[in-house]
Order: sequence, then C-alpha cells, then structure tokens
Amino acid sequence: MALAQQVQLQREPGARTDFARRVTGSPALQLVGRRLLTAIPVLLGVTFLTFVVMNLIPGNPAQLILGINASPSAIAKLDAQLGLNHPFWDRYWIWLDGLLHGNLGIAYSNQQSVNSDIAQFLPTTCWLLLYTLVASLTLGIIVAVLAARKPNGIFDRISLAVSMIGLSVAPYALALVLIYVFSVRLGWFPTISNSLGDNPLTAIRALTLPAAAIGFPLFAIYTRLLRADIVEQMQREDYIVTAKAKGVSPWRVLVRHATRNSLFTLITLVALNLGTLIGAVAIIEPIFSLPGIGAELISAININDLPLIEGIVVVFALVTVAGNLLADLLYTVLDPRIRYGRAAS
Amino acid sequence: MPVRFRLMSMRTACLAGAAALVLTAAAACSSGGGSSASSSPSVQTSNSSIKAPPAKAGGALTVLEGKGFSGDWPLGFDPATNTTGSADQDYYNAVYGQLFELGDNGKLIYDLATGYQYSNGNKTVTIDLRPGVKFSDGTPLTADVVKWNWTRDLESSCTCAAEWVVARTNPKVTTSAPAASVIKVINPTTIQVNLAIPDGAFINQMFDSIPNWIISENSFNKMGEKAFAQLPVGAGPFIMVSDSYSNQIVMKKNPTYWQAPQGLPYLDNLTFKSVSGDEAAYEAMLAGEGQVYTDMSTPQLLTESQQHFDVLNQLGTSPYDLQLNTAVAPFNNPKARQAIYAMTNFAPILQNIFKNAYPVVQGFTGPGGICYQASVPGYQGYNATLAKQLVQQSGLDKATIDLGTISSSPVAAETTQALAQEWSAFGVKTTLHSYALNALIQAFTANAGKSWQAMIQTAGAYDPAGGVGVGFRFNSTSPFSGVHDPKLDTILSQAAASSSLSVRCPLYNQAAAYIAKNYYGPFYFSFAPANVSVKGVAGPGLTTPLPAVSVTPAILWEDVYYNPSGS
Repeated sequence: MALAQQVQLQREPGARTDFARRVTGSPALQLVGRRLLTAIPVLLGVTFLTFVVMNLIPGNPAQLILGINASPSAIAKLDAQLGLNHPFWDRYWIWLDGLLHGNLGIAYSNQQSVNSDIAQFLPTTCWLLLYTLVASLTLGIIVAVLAARKPNGIFDRISLAVSMIGLSVAPYALALVLIYVFSVRLGWFPTISNSLGDNPLTAIRALTLPAAAIGFPLFAIYTRLLRADIVEQMQREDYIVTAKAKGVSPWRVLVRHATRNSLFTLITLVALNLGTLIGAVAIIEPIFSLPGIGAELISAININDLPLIEGIVVVFALVTVAGNLLADLLYTVLDPRIRYGRAAS
Repeated sequence: MPVRFRLMSMRTACLAGAAALVLTAAAACSSGGGSSASSSPSVQTSNSSIKAPPAKAGGALTVLEGKGFSGDWPLGFDPATNTTGSADQDYYNAVYGQLFELGDNGKLIYDLATGYQYSNGNKTVTIDLRPGVKFSDGTPLTADVVKWNWTRDLESSCTCAAEWVVARTNPKVTTSAPAASVIKVINPTTIQVNLAIPDGAFINQMFDSIPNWIISENSFNKMGEKAFAQLPVGAGPFIMVSDSYSNQIVMKKNPTYWQAPQGLPYLDNLTFKSVSGDEAAYEAMLAGEGQVYTDMSTPQLLTESQQHFDVLNQLGTSPYDLQLNTAVAPFNNPKARQAIYAMTNFAPILQNIFKNAYPVVQGFTGPGGICYQASVPGYQGYNATLAKQLVQQSGLDKATIDLGTISSSPVAAETTQALAQEWSAFGVKTTLHSYALNALIQAFTANAGKSWQAMIQTAGAYDPAGGVGVGFRFNSTSPFSGVHDPKLDTILSQAAASSSLSVRCPLYNQAAAYIAKNYYGPFYFSFAPANVSVKGVAGPGLTTPLPAVSVTPAILWEDVYYNPSGS
C-alpha cells in the first residue's frame, strides 16, 4: 500500500471502509478471486487423477525400495511404514492432508522429502521454462510484425516456410538435430548439462539447445497466429483506418495499434500452450541430462514413486494455473474495459 | 471482442485437460539337435584387447552412465541399502575398492584382502586383510571393522543382503543378527566366516555382492546413515567430492590409497555423469563431453561408435534365456516347451539384429565365466517340421503366449519382438509385455508365481553360483524361477558346495543337460554390453576385456589412465 494512502487512512477513519469497498469491488480482483477458486477443483482433479492412474500401474513400492529378494515380512513392514496398507481413499486423504500442511511426503526412491527434491530440481526447470517462453515470444512477435508489415512479401514467405518446419517437427526430434549441428559439429553448446553451474553464461549455454528444441514449435505457432491477427486488424478494423487518416506513421500503426490489440490472441495462445510446454520439458530435460523436475517426473514414473509424482504434478498444475491467472491479469492491463468491469457486464 | 472472452473460457476449461494430458503422456513413457558336450575348468578368452598408449599419471576423466541402469543411484552408496545391485559397481569400486577383484581372464586380484583359505569342508572361510590399509578418513581398515560391515550386510533387509547361509540369533527371522560364532576376528588382519552349509563359491560370490565393499565405521557413525550414503568414505582409489543423486558424481584421487606409493590411481579426478541412454552418450562423446561410456548395447550405435572410438566387447557371462513357467499352462506340458525350442531359430535374429556380436550358447554359462560350455548334449535346436507337429499336439496354436521382459534393455525388447515374429509363422500368437523393474517383480510374484507364462531374462554370472546365476532362474526356492524340480536343485547345490572346478564344472554341465532334456528354457546368446572410450583412455575393462561379474564387468578404476597424446 502506498505511503500516501496509509497516511490518508489514518487521518480519515471513514476512508478505510471506502478503500476496502473499492478494493473488493474491483473487477480485476474479483477476476483473480474467481480464478483462484476455480483452481481448487482443478488441482484436486489433477491430483486425484494422478493418484488413480499411478495406483493402476502394477508393482509394489515397498518391493521396489527393498529390492527383488526382500522377504514378505520386510515388505509388509515397509508397507505399514509408508502407509501402503491403508485403503485407497485413506491414502489419498493422508496425502491431501499433508499437501494442505505443505508436506508432500517422502519419496520412495531416495527416502528424501519430496519438498526438498522439488526444491533441488525446480530452479533448472523454471529457468528453462522462462528462457523458452521469453525467447519464443520475443522472436515470435518480431517475426510476426515484420511478416505482417508486407503480407505475401519475401519476409512473410520465408517466415511461413520456417514456421511450417517448426509446426511439423517434434521437440525430441529437433533436439537430436540441434545436438548434432550445434554441439557435435560446431561445438557451440553442450549436449549434456548435469548442472547449470554458478556462472550465468554457463547456464545460458546449457539451456539454449533445450530451450530451442521446446521453443521452436511454439515460436512457429505464435508467429503464424499473431501475424494472421495483425494482418486482419490492419485490413479490417476501423481504428486502423482512423489512425492512418490522422497521419500516424505506418510503423506506429502496425506496432502500437494493431500489434497491441493482437496481443490478446497471443496471450490466450501462450496460456493454452502451457500444458504442452510442460509436457515438452518432461521429454527434453532427460535428453540433455538437465537436472530438472521434468526429468525427475519421468524417472519417478518409471519406478512408481507416487509421492514424488504427485508432488511434481502439483507443481506443474500450480504453474499452469498461475500462468493462466497471469494471462487473465494481462487482459486487464491491455483492455481497460475489463479492468473497470464494463466487459463483464 | 466476445471471441476473446470465449477464448478465455475455453482456456480455463482446457486447464484440467492439459494437466491430465501431461500426466498421461508422462505415464505412457513408463510402460513392458543335440551336439557333443564340451567343458573346460578354466575361463575362456575370446575378445581381443585394444592397443593402449603408455601409462600416464594425472588428468581427469568423465564417465557417462546410462539412466535406467548404472545412471541411477537414488539411495546413494551404502552397500547395506544398495537395491540397484551390481549396476552401480563403478562408483562403489572407485570409493571402497574391493577385498577381491576380478581381473583379466578371470584372474583373482587381491585388493584390500591378501589371501583366503577354505576349511571345515568349505564351511569355514578365513580371509587375510591387507595390513596398513587406511580409510580416507585416516582410520585403519581392520578385521573388527570388517566384522561390523559384514554384520550389517547380513542384517540388511534389502535385496543386497549378503546371501551367506549362516546361523542366526533368531532362526525364524532371516534378517536377525548372525550368531556369535558366524564372524570371528582372529587377529587385526584375519577374519573368519563360519557357514551353515558348504560354499565353495564363496570368494567368487564376493565379486557381485556387498561384503566385498568395506565402509568406514568411524565416518558412518559420525555422519549418520543418510549423509554417509551421499558422501561415502572408503579405502578405495578415489574420494567422493560431490554427489547429486542419479545425476553427477565428482571424485578425486585418494592420497592415502594403499597403492598410492606405486602411483595409483593414475587419474587425479574422475567424474560420472548420468545420461538418458546410448544415443545421448554417443552424441556427448562426439562433442567431447565424455571420454568413457559404459554398457552400450544398441547395435546400430555400436557400429557407429567403432568409427570414432575404441569399443571393447566384454566377455559375456550372462546368457539370455527364455524362462518358461512350468507351473501353469501351456508350459506345464513338456511338448509345449519343446515346441518353443523347435520353432526358435536364433541364428537369423542374432545375425540381422545383433550383427553376431554375441556368442550363441545352449546353457547358462558364457565365455567369460567359469565352466563355460558352448554346446549342451540333447539340446533341442531349430526344427521347423517338428515344431509344426508339436505346436498342434500341445495346442499352442490355440493359445496366446504372454511373453515379457524388462523395459530397460533394448536387446531384450528387440529379442522378444523377433521371437514373436518367428513363432507367428507356426501359428503361435504372442502378447508382448515390457515391464519396468518393479512391475517385472510384480509379474513374477503375483498369484504365487502363477501369473506369468514366459519371460526373456539373463541367467548367469561369472560363477553360476553367484548373483543372478543359474539358481536365480532355475531354483525351486527362487521367486524368479519357473522351474520347481528337486533333482535340479540338488545338482545345483552340489555344484556350489565344492571349491574345486574339476568337481563343479561337470555338475554344471549335468545341470545344463538336465535343463535341456526337460525343455525348461532355451538359451540364446551370452550377452555383455560394450564399453566405449575415446582414444587415449586405457585400463582393465576399457582396453583389455574383463569377465562380466554379472551382466557387466567391474572396471578397475585405479588402473585406468588417460593419455590423449599417446606419447
């Protein structure tokens, strides 16, 4: 809260209720509240679905921990320790209760706290996601604007060809091509990065190829759709004609008016693609030996480590929910009608 | 404008779906003529060495290890909790050294021990320890410390527990403490183990079992179990500097190593990195990010690797066999089992898929192990005419065979597919199953071992009595056996009891012939993955072949060096 507002609230007691009314009545905050409320059933659904799926996979975690020669009594003892002898619903409730208390349980595979496992591996994944998003969005916007400037021009056609490649190629296949070209042949980037190191440049080098493998298909989608939207705005919208009639420079019309309005589409796309992005992270991290939670998720699934899987799925779900919430907030920034509640009415 | 709000609503609705898709996609990644007998009491040598540069001290090496096997070490390196078996032996050997090492041509190398004697009809084993050996924390490696280690090993509830048959304080509990008479400290450098039954394979069994690794009792007690497992302290050639589980290990030379005065280990630093598999390792080595990759088995990559690196095929000791569950239909019928033998022509599979990289076998021994027997009398070979008759007589043409294997082995997976293809020519339908390790265990043990029909697995070790040896797959008491035959059990027990190869090998030959006669499971080839290294790297297991301890050989890291210039 700004200092001036606090001072004013101290001077005028009536202003406090007025301020509170304005805050709670804010359409933007109401939107945030609604989104947070809808996140609860989403999270519950995701965790429950995970629990069901992982319980359907054959195999006993106690046997996994103790190994193939473990005696039935040792397995039974560990089953009891891990709470695996409880019915399905009890186990889910116990896990949920732990989650509400910030305790994601103990991983079967390494007997460590899931919280600490995630804390160890999450930063790498976050950096990778951030790098991928920033790079694909930045390049996507630049290329889309340049392509929309002269539809069917040479740049537009080249960008179309490049985007088609991006839309056609799977990230894991692209990863192998990138490794061969940029690591094996040119030696510019590492093929494996078991740690990001302390030096930011080392981290950037380590993350560039994985980010490119994940980001290139996203860049292609962003470019094509944003370019199409900008072109449509430029050709059909009245406000563009008005701006041009007022003598605003073509570049300014393109960037400040048409592109700004087209960002709605882009934000929606980014939010829709968060799930795809996270799925790609889980596939790409192991290829580059990146110590992230995507790679951990795959390892955990392979060994049926339910607490670790649940913990990571919760994190991924939270990231997806938070990303979508951010998108909602960005809508309000871009369009004042949402901020002041007119669109809602 | 309303379109935008519809998009917002659609996006919200997609949230749960997207998350579910991620989960489902990730889950999908997890899914499963007779001939004459010959035997030799000695180990066979077949694979040739690679020319090595002169030895050179110093330098660093990065070793790549594949996920799903040696690239995973989720619990760290406490031998008493080592559920990953011999897969992680590279790290254990580098940090702890070994009491006994398995060298070239099956030579027994004394590392932290200096000798042994069998007595009391092979029920007592006395082991001499190397005097003056110190752990890297400065404490001495004595018989008392070894006793403390072995007691832990015997009390361990994990699969890794020492399998010595000994008297227990509570005979009903297999993990109870050993009786006082079991492990005796004779003097600071001599220790004795008293077994309940004769075991002439005791020393050979050491190679792939945890009693061969001795940890520092002092550091363990100071650090606690968890911290110790992450940064273990031993008396081996290297000290662990850092360890991020199943990701990366950094080691440095141990200045107090007992062979330090002789300049060993050669390397100053040794780093292990986990990679996703053969392809990733190959690319990383091409890019110069690793100098060694252990356990490569993808046939195409082995061919590619030979153009750039030194590829050393190891001496296999673990033949692949097709386990048939004789407790359930259709393989409780000997004719159905014989039909499997008769309709399997392994020569084209070996040639076309595996480029004849592995020797064909008919029994549970391989060219790298003891008592190797290339052919087995009475072994039913491929016979298409007989196969057609047997398939009809046994009703296999009306059944669908469940054929499973472990998902982490590309060799096993390709073998199951090829077999299914071959059998289909005889009208036999097959359902393939690829199991992750724990699911495989579940498949074996569910319904008292009566849920599975056929599995492709390895059966064999350097010594058939060791680790995942013949008993593991063919003994009545093993949960991973489809055979329940007291006569076979007796032959195998007799073979393990003697310490004389001239007694043991004929018994193993007899067991192999008995398995063939009863069609308990055909054997295919003796598998051992290859080790790949860049030019200039040399050492046992990298430029000179070693017998596989159990599937893979134990590289002797103290003798490994890197001389990139070759001068």
